[in-house]
Amino acid sequence: MKKLLTLLLAAAMTASFAGCTTTNANDQASSKGETASGEKKEITFLTYNLSIASQKDAVQELIDTFNAQSDTVQVTGVQTDVASLQTKVQSDYVAGNTFDVVQVGLNSVDYYVENYALSAFEDIAGQEAYDQHMEGFAEKAQTLGTYTDGKTYVLPYTFSTPMLYYNKDLFEKAGLDPEQPPKTWEEVKTYGVALKDSGTEGIQITATGDGTDWLIQAMIYSNGGEVLSEDKKTILFGEQPAVDAISVWQDLVLSGAHSNYTDTEAMEAFMAGNQGMLVVSAAMESGLISSAEAGGWELGAAGLPSFGDKEAVPTNSGSGLCIMSQDEEKAKAAWEFIQFVTSEEGYTIITSKMGYLPLRPAIIDDEKYLKSWAEEHPFVRTNLEQLERLHKWVGFPGLNSGQIATALNQAVTECIFSDKDVEAVMKQAQSEAQDLLPN
Amino acid sequence: MELQMEPTAPAAKQKRLRWGTGGKHLLLILLCLFAIFPIYWMVISSFKGAGEIFNNSLLPSSWSLENYTYAMEAIDIVGMTANTLVMALSQTILQLCTAVMAAYALTRWDFAGSKLIYALFSLTWLVPFQAIMIPNYTTIVGMGFRDSLMGVIVPNMASAFAILSLYPSFKSFPKALIEAGVMDKMSACGVLFKLILPNIKSSIVSLGILLFINSWNDYFWPALIISQGQTTLQLGLRSFMSAELTSWGPLMAASVLASLPILILYLIIQKQVIQSFVKWGIK
Repeated sequence: MKKLLTLLLAAAMTASFAGCTTTNANDQASSKGETASGEKKEITFLTYNLSIASQKDAVQELIDTFNAQSDTVQVTGVQTDVASLQTKVQSDYVAGNTFDVVQVGLNSVDYYVENYALSAFEDIAGQEAYDQHMEGFAEKAQTLGTYTDGKTYVLPYTFSTPMLYYNKDLFEKAGLDPEQPPKTWEEVKTYGVALKDSGTEGIQITATGDGTDWLIQAMIYSNGGEVLSEDKKTILFGEQPAVDAISVWQDLVLSGAHSNYTDTEAMEAFMAGNQGMLVVSAAMESGLISSAEAGGWELGAAGLPSFGDKEAVPTNSGSGLCIMSQDEEKAKAAWEFIQFVTSEEGYTIITSKMGYLPLRPAIIDDEKYLKSWAEEHPFVRTNLEQLERLHKWVGFPGLNSGQIATALNQAVTECIFSDKDVEAVMKQAQSEAQDLLPN
Repeated sequence: MELQMEPTAPAAKQKRLRWGTGGKHLLLILLCLFAIFPIYWMVISSFKGAGEIFNNSLLPSSWSLENYTYAMEAIDIVGMTANTLVMALSQTILQLCTAVMAAYALTRWDFAGSKLIYALFSLTWLVPFQAIMIPNYTTIVGMGFRDSLMGVIVPNMASAFAILSLYPSFKSFPKALIEAGVMDKMSACGVLFKLILPNIKSSIVSLGILLFINSWNDYFWPALIISQGQTTLQLGLRSFMSAELTSWGPLMAASVLASLPILILYLIIQKQVIQSFVKWGIK
């Protein structure tokens, strides 16, 4: 009995120790970054690009260039892989070690605003200073990080749209004009079948895996549909325009114009020179260019195809930056850093070294920034043209947002890789997703 | 007829035996090829250039070291290997120590609550890591171990799996021998170190190997704790993969380099490794 009591006492001590550690963590957090007057304010920047071998040097360059220029702020980059991002933010938030600037997916703006005490950029910087900074920023991209109150909590940062890439050599082999890529999905079908008949693979729309709902959304918007009502209370991806768009996609697969691959298999086939066309995020472009150079074939690029004469409506994949710091001075320091990375100079590094779109489009005609780079990379202009028709990548509200996106992904995959009735499958998925929405 | 049959019967049996053995060998050769092929593919892919990384040729058309150069420049493989070795060795040694102590205490003495403690150990083994991840994280951050190998090692100093695995070995150790030791005025530590441990050495070594491999492959907890500095190999390898693109060539080159230490270790103690997998029934 005495021993049992000792055990219970030990358990109680452990529990109280756990309590103490939370306090310690808070103390540590509040003391971090406080520097004597005249010294630089230290802030942290949590970013997943820093964990990617091919991009980390560019992110470090952004940080180092800023640190060298700023007399008042010192930024330290913190890496995480994209899959662990939310867990890391959550764990550190609970531990009281909130990161000051965090890179988040542009579809998770609502999640971050509703679950973390984010401050709006307009409030941190002041409306006038904020408006001034946003001059020259791609207009359609400006509202991608706004919440229902109309304020901006996430500022778009790394960003890309879907493009149609194609293998010019395979086009020639199939008797197609490599300078006339398909503009509509009807043409895509004709081209795809011709490619298949010539012994290669036709097209693949790389939206058959998890996390690719942004591209499915682009298909639905391009046919005049929506996935969620404006008041965010009704799921709409089972409605007619969406069903028709997915039916066209199913027809591509059934006719043989679309390959029967997973996205990864199609990417690899395309890079190996065995796949004719690929609709994929423009963020892949640098990899495609180097594969084409190494494989000795010519790469072509065109905008997202349209449904008949309706204008194609691309969405964006990518991320934005939010300020999580509760400390007013650190929040201002974070704003100073974000201003730099989203400036002309910042986007020159981001575009030329990381492969994302310049959200200050004018810099591709400015000799000081990206003019010479854009001459060597003509696809960037096609990509920027698409920005004018951009539709926001909609994140579903509530704690089940990921589950809803997965339901959409799975329903589409089920439709396109079978001859099932698209309307029935999409309506069923819509009804299941509706139940997952918050009341 | 019988006379004719007699000499041929053993020959036919021998022939059947030869075919039987041959069939078995053929099956084993096929299984070996099946097991070796991924390693072979990793090695040859690491020498392929970007243009042929996705083709199916069994040998690169020209052998290139560019993937190795890139991988070595992109990540600090030597530093990461050292960090991973420190992490895996520390965890293995600490888990073995705590498991030996716990299993010894639970089997040697009948004290109040021993069954409860054993049940609690069993229960903690069933709790998924995701459920205790955030409380663990806040505790470790509170201790000031964020971003350090200590932060990775400290919560893994004891393993319920190790305790539960050693418990039967301790339990089945003959009580008469322990009593004889006590009569010889051996202390509790003496009984453990001089009597029990030398006799269950093989169990401890094989468990140690499993614990080492588990620690070596650990990804999620180090990914949460370490954001800068003392990165482990598994995190380093992940850096060649992104949502957009996987750099297969450099990834394979880094994987070859990363697997060398564990491959060398395996070649040295392969008999024990196989025994431990068979013993604990783990694939």
